[in-house]
Amino acid sequence: MQLFALQTCYAQQKDSLSPLKKVIVTGLKKTVDFTTPIPFQSINHETLQQINAESIADAAKYFSGVLIKDYGGVGGLKTISVRSLGALNTSLLYDGIPVADAQTGQIDLSKFSSTFVQSLELSQANPQQILLPARIYSAAAVLAVATNTFNTKNFTQKKWQAGIKQGSFGLWQPFAGIYLPTSKSIVISANAEAIWSKGNYPYYIENGMFSQKAYRTNSDLKSFQGEINIVKQFKDSSQLQTKLWGYSSERGLPGNIIFFNNISVQRLWDKDFFVQSRYQKKISEHTSLLVSAKYSSLFTRYRDPNFLNNAGGLDDRYTQQEIYISAAVSHNFGKYFSASLASDFASAHLSSNIVPFATPTRNTWWNSIALQYARKLWQINSSLLNTNVDDKTKIGPAAVHKNEFTPTIAASYKLKVESPFMFRAFYKNIFRLPTFNDLYYTYISNVNPKLLPEYSKQYNVGITYSKNFNSTLKQLSISVDGYYNTIKDKIIAVPSQNLFVWTVTNLGKVHIKGIDVNAEANGNLSPAIRWSVRIAYTLQQAEDVTDPSSSQYKNEIPYTPDNSGSALAVLYYKNWSTGYSFLFSGMRYTLGENNPANELSGWDTHDFFLTRAIKLSNFNINIKAEINNVFNERYEVIRYYPMPGKSYKISITFINL
Amino acid sequence: MGKIKVPLTVIALVVIASCSKKDSGKTTAPKITTGVYSLNQGSYGANNTTLTYYDFGSNVATTDYYHNANGFGLGDTGSDFIIYGGKIYIVMNVSGNVAVADALTAKYIDTISFISSGVNKGPENIVGYAGNVFVSSTDGTVSVIDTNTLSITKSITVGSNPAQMAISGTTLYVSNTGAFNTSYIYDSTVSVIDLGTLTETKKITVGTNPGSIAADNSGNIYVACTGDYSSVAPSLVKVNASTNTVTFVADTAVGIVRFYNNNLYVTGGYLGVASVRVLSTSDFSAVKTNFVSDGTTIITPYGLDIDNATGDVYVGDAKDYVSSGTVFCFDKNGTKKFSFSTTPTASPAKVVLIQR
Repeated sequence: MQLFALQTCYAQQKDSLSPLKKVIVTGLKKTVDFTTPIPFQSINHETLQQINAESIADAAKYFSGVLIKDYGGVGGLKTISVRSLGALNTSLLYDGIPVADAQTGQIDLSKFSSTFVQSLELSQANPQQILLPARIYSAAAVLAVATNTFNTKNFTQKKWQAGIKQGSFGLWQPFAGIYLPTSKSIVISANAEAIWSKGNYPYYIENGMFSQKAYRTNSDLKSFQGEINIVKQFKDSSQLQTKLWGYSSERGLPGNIIFFNNISVQRLWDKDFFVQSRYQKKISEHTSLLVSAKYSSLFTRYRDPNFLNNAGGLDDRYTQQEIYISAAVSHNFGKYFSASLASDFASAHLSSNIVPFATPTRNTWWNSIALQYARKLWQINSSLLNTNVDDKTKIGPAAVHKNEFTPTIAASYKLKVESPFMFRAFYKNIFRLPTFNDLYYTYISNVNPKLLPEYSKQYNVGITYSKNFNSTLKQLSISVDGYYNTIKDKIIAVPSQNLFVWTVTNLGKVHIKGIDVNAEANGNLSPAIRWSVRIAYTLQQAEDVTDPSSSQYKNEIPYTPDNSGSALAVLYYKNWSTGYSFLFSGMRYTLGENNPANELSGWDTHDFFLTRAIKLSNFNINIKAEINNVFNERYEVIRYYPMPGKSYKISITFINL
Repeated sequence: MGKIKVPLTVIALVVIASCSKKDSGKTTAPKITTGVYSLNQGSYGANNTTLTYYDFGSNVATTDYYHNANGFGLGDTGSDFIIYGGKIYIVMNVSGNVAVADALTAKYIDTISFISSGVNKGPENIVGYAGNVFVSSTDGTVSVIDTNTLSITKSITVGSNPAQMAISGTTLYVSNTGAFNTSYIYDSTVSVIDLGTLTETKKITVGTNPGSIAADNSGNIYVACTGDYSSVAPSLVKVNASTNTVTFVADTAVGIVRFYNNNLYVTGGYLGVASVRVLSTSDFSAVKTNFVSDGTTIITPYGLDIDNATGDVYVGDAKDYVSSGTVFCFDKNGTKKFSFSTTPTASPAKVVLIQR
């Protein structure tokens, strides 16, 4: 109950901070998910270890409103689109600092392992805290990853964990982490994980007499990721967190199924690195400061030896570097009112071995002001973001300067303190610039630099219910949110001249209507048997309203199912736990014109797991066995990118955390 | 546990939906009498190239005629096709083969693979001559296929990334684009192949990035050069086929060039106007700036074919390259005779007449 109080304080006071409090709260059943003015969903460490999630992408499939575009297998690209606003409008925070990719605008979530993640949180619009870097306000939705590294209180003595996961299709995933408290309130920790996967799973090509069972080829992945964290807790309770993160991988790109042609030789290498630092300090009783800085370098090499050019194939290399700094300050004016100001700057640079190449640099300034007025029964949050962008290129025209103001407003209301019901609403307006790829991928046309930004507006109203009981049902929380989004000047790539030459244009206008439902419940069946259930469901309609004379008018945009959802049910008995998880998606269209030839069947997958914790004197041994896609559902998230069928995985972890 | 009910109901619906989908392709196709085939490319990577048959008697377009006749699809990105010696030869660029079928039934006969040593050669364009069909491929070759054995008997090396071909007399002309080359270093030549010896005898320099090519009936060929999309503008080039020298050049953006009745019929391509123009063969001046005379709107002229017997002009409208295309047929005066949709497939690339 004490912890519940702390968490309530966190939710009410919103004084920004802090992963510190968050980490303490996590691990318990949180109700914060269902009490924020803005729809907020989270998955804690325990759940992350239960579901079949090699990366955070697999975990994010359990959120409502989310579409993970999954190209199949451990090595397949996985991106997140929230409420059909597109992957490029979702921002990823890694321990409080944005992960950015100015080249593609989207983050491949398969690069982020779930092993060391303490919590995965999805905030529609903005996170609830008021003390935030300004850049965070620029996204339609924010996926925040908090690792278990920045909690000095948890690590008063040496902690460690090590283990391995082994699964079907040649998957080996060893991992280890160590947390060393040193003198002077410094904790040094290191995490590392490697993945080897052959990914040679069977699939079925359906094409009349040429139908056949085949195996994915060139789908192997070798990756290594590691991080070193240093946390210094100062006497005045201010904290300095520094993280070095690295990722290196080589993978085959199996590509989509092509009838009569099973050649697959394209390879991709990634070498990513970043160093980031955050300093948080309470300047006075009512004033807090947050300073962040980051340098990142992303190297990508793409090789296609079969590309029929005069250079023996393609061997494209891109290096992207970004410097990012942010300063934010918040102040409480009396009991109810608080405000924050933040100012961020980033300079992103892309170079390549391609000749000629635009070699663009983008300088972006974000300035935000956020106001929060929170009473016992109601609160209003608002923020205004100013974005200033300048592009420069070495060759060819650069995009024109942009200066935009985009607001958010959110409110919640309860009838009575003890009422389990809460009403909420928000509006958010954002824009996104064309990416470097949109603007400067080829120098074929000078049209691209004239591309306009894409604007998205979100409207949301919702009701939440959250109540504690004292029986077999201990706690029940439900939220239902209805939303309406509009996208203007949607940036899309379309073929022009022929199917191999594409241009990027501002063509789209999309209207999205949807309902997100989330429910969580838990309780005790008997004193020894605990249970928990979480369900997410999305009903959605995303229509292309660009051109009334087009055959695509009022058709569903590609890859948007009407219905989708997930469920997870877990039983706990002593040191055992067992669970069932379920994901489903309704039928989707693969192209903007919704005719039967473009239908892609709906699918559902069912996974089971069993865990056992063996408690020894100094550490625990956790053993887990899972069967995934137990009914061997043959399905595709993206057409002609088959997903794996039934698979097995076992894992063993030695842990004293 | 009762809470899971809602999604489970939804699954039931999903399963029903997925069952109904598999029934497509079992419809029976009408018998082919007199009409046109349209090859519709579809989307890259979507395995959705289709062949539509439009019947002149019933005025009905039967979509995906090949699939209906055979129970399987053509595959990915059909770039060209011809009817030659009672067989239909469909060039499947990304699937890497030439599908051979009976011209009157579209019944599958064979596929000639263009995958060699683990590389798809990228078959692109096809013409027939003296018992052989010739297929240009992106890998810089022209393959000779014996139409009796349906096997590749010879591979003739030409320039880089050859695209289109035309025959004038006993000579085959192949435009070499170089469109895949790095640093936008385009080819600028047309390969001259002696159809007697099946060897390349010469390369004629015509202009940057030559693409569409047509022969007239008086010993000239016409080559549409796309340019480099930047500093080099598109041009149309006239070549004397007996001397193999360039005789006339004019800067005009042309996507496809066809010859009919002493005039050139051209589309604008990527950089040009979105109408079909009729040009003089001598100085490329516009005889008609818009061949369509009745106000019919064509969004993106993508395919252009002419019935030499009647002068009917077929224009494939690719629209946005994603929506279902439309094939228009105009009489020689530019008045629409009929049109049909290539639903569900985008980008109608070529039309060929078929007659029983």
